[in-house]
Order: sequence, then C-alpha cells, then structure tokens
Amino acid sequence: MLLQQLLNGLVVGGVYALFAVGFNLIFGIQRFLNLAHGAVFMTGAFVAYYTVEAGGPLILGFLAAIIISGLLSVLIEIVCFRRLRKSGDAEFGAILSSMGASLVIMTVWQWISKTQVVRFPFDTVPVVIFRFWGLRVSLLQVIMMVAAVVIVMIMAWFLYRTSFGRQVRAVTDNEKAATLVGVNPNRTYSLTYFISGALAGAAGVLVGLAFNNINYMMGEPYLLFGFAIIILGGLGSIPGALLASLIFGMGQTLAIAYLPSGLTTAFIFSAMFLILLVKPTGLMGREEAGILRGRR
Amino acid sequence: MTNILLGYQPLFDLFLLHLGMAYSQWLVLRAGVFSLATAGLAAVGAYTGGILVVSLGFPAPVALLLAGLAGGIVALGLSIPLARLRGVYQAIATVAFIQIVLSLNIYASGLTGGPQGLNGIPKTVGTVTLLIAGILTVYLMYTITNSRLGRAFDAIRQNEAVAASLGVSIVRHQTLAFIISGALAGVYGALEAFHSYALAPSQFGFTFLISILAYVVLGGRNTIIGPIVGTAILLLLPEIARPLAEARMLVYGLLLILVINYLPHGIADTLIERARARRLSARLAKSDSVATTATRN
Amino acid sequence: MSLTLQNVSKRFGGVVASDSVNITVPKGKITGLIGPNGAGKTTIVNMITGMLAVSDGQISVGGRDITHASADEICRARLARTFQNIRILPDNSVLENILIGFHRHEKCSTLAAILGLPSARRESEKIVKMAEELLQRFGMSALADFPAGGLSYGHQRKLEMMRALASEPEFMLLDEPIAGMNDVESDSLAELFQELASTGMGILLIEHNIRFVSKLCEYIYVLDGGRLIAEGAPTVVLRDPEVMAAYIGGEHA
Repeated sequence: MLLQQLLNGLVVGGVYALFAVGFNLIFGIQRFLNLAHGAVFMTGAFVAYYTVEAGGPLILGFLAAIIISGLLSVLIEIVCFRRLRKSGDAEFGAILSSMGASLVIMTVWQWISKTQVVRFPFDTVPVVIFRFWGLRVSLLQVIMMVAAVVIVMIMAWFLYRTSFGRQVRAVTDNEKAATLVGVNPNRTYSLTYFISGALAGAAGVLVGLAFNNINYMMGEPYLLFGFAIIILGGLGSIPGALLASLIFGMGQTLAIAYLPSGLTTAFIFSAMFLILLVKPTGLMGREEAGILRGRR
Repeated sequence: MTNILLGYQPLFDLFLLHLGMAYSQWLVLRAGVFSLATAGLAAVGAYTGGILVVSLGFPAPVALLLAGLAGGIVALGLSIPLARLRGVYQAIATVAFIQIVLSLNIYASGLTGGPQGLNGIPKTVGTVTLLIAGILTVYLMYTITNSRLGRAFDAIRQNEAVAASLGVSIVRHQTLAFIISGALAGVYGALEAFHSYALAPSQFGFTFLISILAYVVLGGRNTIIGPIVGTAILLLLPEIARPLAEARMLVYGLLLILVINYLPHGIADTLIERARARRLSARLAKSDSVATTATRN
Repeated sequence: MSLTLQNVSKRFGGVVASDSVNITVPKGKITGLIGPNGAGKTTIVNMITGMLAVSDGQISVGGRDITHASADEICRARLARTFQNIRILPDNSVLENILIGFHRHEKCSTLAAILGLPSARRESEKIVKMAEELLQRFGMSALADFPAGGLSYGHQRKLEMMRALASEPEFMLLDEPIAGMNDVESDSLAELFQELASTGMGILLIEHNIRFVSKLCEYIYVLDGGRLIAEGAPTVVLRDPEVMAAYIGGEHA
C-alpha cells in the first residue's frame, strides 16, 4: 500500500517536474517569478483537448500543446517583461505584470470553454493495467513517466550540451558581458521562455489526461505547488527543482492518503513556510534569500 | 436625484471597504515589504469579528476592535519570518500564508462554517460608519506618512543601506508597518462582515488579492491619494461601461500589464509628479538669479 | 576618544580580504586610508559600517565596541558615512532627503507619530527648520523642493554630506567623496572637511586621489592586499618603496 502510494507520487512528481523546471528556468535566468506559468500550463491542456475533440490523434494534440504553450510563453516575455527588464523596479513589476497576463489568458479560456469543465473522450488513452510485485501501474502512468523523463532529458541536453545552452548560462551569469561577446540576449530569453512554456504545456496535457478535468482555473493550484517545489529545491536551480518535484509528488500523495483530508494544503504550505525559515536557499539553491541587513 | 444617489450607495459602500484594504496593502509596500498578505489578514479579521458576534454574542464595536487586534497580532507573528526574507521570497511566503488561512478556514468548519461560510451576521455597519472609518483611515495614513515613521518607511523602501546608515532600524520599522497594515486589514475585514450578513472563505482569495493590488498599482504607491484614485477608477469602470463588468478580470489583467510597463508610478503619483515639476520650473524661471547662483555653488 | 580598529580581519572562506588591520582615527583630525584598486578598502569600510561581519578583531567608536553592532546601531554610536557610489533617495525631495538624516534625533513616541499628536508635529517642524539651516549653509536653499533624483552630480554629493551631518556624528567615514568632481568642486569640499575637523569631528577619508589625501591628512594608512603596508605622515609614507611598488604594480602592471 505504502509502496503503491510512493509509486503514484513518483509519477505525479514527474509531471510536477515538467511544470516546476520551466518555472525555475525563468527565475534562474531573469530573477522573475512568472505568475502566468499556471495559465500557460492550462493552455497546453486546452489545446490538446480541442485537438483531440476535433478528431486529431492525441500525439498531435500533445505536439500542438507544446508548441502553442511555448509560443504563448515567448509572447508573455515580450509583452510583460521585456520593458521591465530595463527599469529598476523589475522584481515587483514582473509579479504584477505576469499576474495580469495570467488573468487575461484565464479569461480567454473561460470564454472559449464557456466556463465548463471539459474532459478527454474516455478511450483517449486505453485503460490497461500492468501488475508486478503487487503494484498496479496503468498505461497512462507509464506514458506520463516516459514523457516526463524524455522531455526533461531533451531539455537537459539542450541546456548543458548545446551552444544555445552555453548562451543561456552566459546571459544568466552576466547579461552585459554576454552581449559583448556577441550573444543576443533577447533571442536567448525568447528561446528560454519557449522551453519553459513547452514544458508547462506538456505538463498540462499530462495532468489533463490523468485527472481528466480541464477548466480555466486548473493552473492556479499548480502555480502554488510550483512555489512550494522551487522553494524546496532552491530558487533558480534546475536539478533542485527536479529533485524537489519528486519529493513533493510523493509527499503530497502520502499527505492525501494519511492526513485528514482538509489539512493537506495547510500542511504543504506550512512545510514550505518552515523551509523558507530554516533553509531559504532550499536543497540546491545558491541565491541568498535572506537580506544582508547590517551584519546578519 | 436622490434615487440615483441611492442607487449608487452599495457601490459607495464597496468603495469604502475596498479603500481600507487598499491602504493596508499600500502601507506595507510603502515600507518596502513585499507582502501580499492583506487578503489573509482581512480573512482573519472578518472571521474573528463574525464569530465573536454570531457565536459568542459580543457587541459589534468590541468585536471590531478585537478583529483589528487579531489582524495586528497575526501580522506580528508573520513578520518574524518575513523579516528574514527578501523580495520575491516575501511575496511567496505571504501567498502561502493566504493559502494556509483559506484551507484552515475550510477545515475548521465547526467554528467558521467551512465551505458554507458564516451566516446570520447582524448588519450593524452602514454607509455612515464606513465613511467615518474611511476618513479616520485617510487621516491616520496621512499622519503616519508625514511623521518620522513615514520618513523611515520611504528611506527603507528606496535604499536599505542608506536607511540603516542613518540609524533607521529596518526590521523594527517594517514590522511596525506590517502590524499597522494587519490591524487595518483586520478592522476592514470585520467591517465587511458586519456589512454583508454573511462571509464565504473564497471571498478573501486570489481575486480579492489581485483587485487590491490593482487598486494600489493603478492609483500610485507613493502618495496618499493613490489608493483612492485607483479604487475609484477600478470600481467605477464596470459601472460606466457595462460590457466591461462581464470582463472585469480581463480588464484588471490588461491594466496591470499596461500600468506596470508604461505608467509604473500609477495615475495619481504621475499626475502629482508632473504638477510638481511644472510648479518648480515656473518658480525657477521667476527667480532665475537665485537658482543659478545656487546651482553654481 | 577615537575610532579604532584593532587587529581587524575578514576572511571569505579561505580568502583573506583583511589581515589584522589596525587603524586609529582621532577626533578633530582627518585621517587618510589609501591603496590601489582591490587593496581591500571597501572591505574595511563595510566592516566599520556594519555591512559585513568582522571575522576577527575589534572595532570601537569613542570607547564603545561596535564590532558586532548593526548598521543602525553604529549610526547611533555617532559614526556617519557617505557612499562611494552616491546613494540619495531619488523619489524624495532634497529637503526630505535631509530630514531622514535627523532620524536619530526624533524621540516622539510611536503612538504620537501614528496619531499625529502635537508632540510629533512639533518635532517634525523642528527638524524641517534644522534641515533648512543646513541647506542654507551649503547654499542649496533654492533647491529644497526639487526631486533629489534630478540634481547634478556635485549637488548629490553635497546632499549626501548634509544628510550624514544631520545625524550629528562625532566621526565621519567618507568613501571616495570627490570621485568624479572637478578641481573647483573638490577644493570647496576640502575646505568643508577641514572646517568639520576643526569643530572636533574625526574623519576617515578613503580616497584614490593621493594628491587630495596628502593635502588634507596629517596621517595616512596604506592598504595593499588586505593588510597595512605603511602608515605615517603623507610625505614620509608616499616615499616608502613598498608603497610606490604597490601603486606602480597595482595601477600600471
């Protein structure tokens, strides 16, 4: 029973990783909290759903979701953040600006979906259950795990093994210096936002399939989980976000299974508060969360 | 004529209630605290007031004071972790706080009514009470910002190193700003409870948080008129243009993006800055000789 | 009564940024601290002003230990400072920038300040008057209501000086106060510094400009690689072979 819960948690955690890594990628490169990330995630779920509903195969819906979410994320960077980067008050401004973008995207999907909950047709993913060692794994869970692992690996390869990845990391370290050696920061940012949005879109499709409940507010709880995960993993750290997502997925599944039902959320966010207090840099963060006030 | 005015009375009440909340948000931002906790603190005040009156039979004025006290005390508790965090982390921590309040509120259904909310609160607050509260609030905000506290808040917000080098204790002042903000949110939460018969947990969620932030950002964060202008515009806009009422959140969203990018100081602050610049350049032209010698020195 | 650093050290991990530094700044005199770029001057400044934790040693002002005091406590110990890169409050007016300098002297209760009681208002009026007197003394009265962010460079430097003076310090730490100024401007500041010293204030002048330092200071300290390599009267110290080597090595190599 416990093992089954841990396995389910691991699967969910893999999907969280797709969401949180994209979220943290943007924080890592620009020090901005992109509060529209939940809305991008939701967009992925809706795009896949409407593709399937129009008669397209799921894989097409998945690809469309990834591409459209990626492009949406790029658009958010251009509209909400590009001007702000040059002003002084960018940290606070980015929170408000992306909050605004989130509201706009949510309202658009609310109109398109007529405020209804939409669901994938019953047989979009055939119900097949594999059993081994007394554990049950559904085909959907296998797909989720494989998709999460493959996508994260592609992203890691892109970021750490290609010249683009080096550019991203160069701009992260020092935008001015990177510009001097010929890196175009705007192009780098656009690419980063595309990856971030594509990851969120993929997560949206997988969550939409897993819980089969797609609505215009579905991004909000995931944004909050995203907060908790990046605090746990360390703001800005990609490996930290990966690890924290898996821990969070398992922790959440266990909390739902063993804690009084109403207390799960309170538990999660109290735990997050505690981490902020005890170790604000998280498991792998390097950013100092505390302020240098006087000597302390 | 009176009929038309009476038709707008509920809107005016709403304006006064939201104005108080907006000042709660405005004050912490002014002191350089990155807190979004006003929604959670208002919930604490609203439920404290409501429960005291409904379940324990307290008179409304006493419950109102205790609600303010509760808001202030919770804010004091929250300020301890917040003081150790900076910028974005403060924002995340306060959002987590709102989430904790929301879920505890639903969980403790025996006390708060849970998802059904708290019902049967006697309506003891009307336009007159709200107007008095509003005037008092504006007065207090004015005196605070024109006192040594306001000067310290301004310095901390603009440059913590400078503030500290001049003897301003950052932690003490930010904590104080946060407590006052919490007490204000608590009082206005209770006013809302006593004004509207019933409370629902979702009332103090993210829609509320975004509205309050939008008021302050649109109006202006550094002048006392800012929240008044912002709250008035955003509440009147859907009334003037009916179709906008349907798309309220869309309008708020677009305004947030536009204001932050193109009018970062907000409407009132920008106008006041422009007026001041005009006045000063006129004075400079008039007494050119004095100013030039001053500049040469 | 002086500002004293005794064997003050700072280590970042294994890197030693300051190594047993001893400095004494007496009252009524201008003491210089010079050194090539990267010599560790900023580390010393940050340790004295409470922006950086001291690894070892002791710092005291007028007999009061401030080694582990926070920046605001240090101000209350009557040590004021100016910043290397000007830090004025750009949203506020010139007058308001000076008012915050009087923070240390404002004694009215918090409740009085919140409620706007007469005691708080009287105090506010009093410091406005004092700020106006300072503006007059520096010949900037006409600019009182202007936004500080729009001032010229020289005026911003002066504004920072006024703000620091408003706290009525016994000791003042000036971090490269004439950087970016022309000779006329720096000469008028030099006069001001001498005037302040003659009223009994102890000044620690951190400067790049050796000519300026040797003109103003009777005693200077030379820092290189985080430790003091020479101290004494400017004429003597500047002829020291090690000092010359440090400067030539530091600036031309």
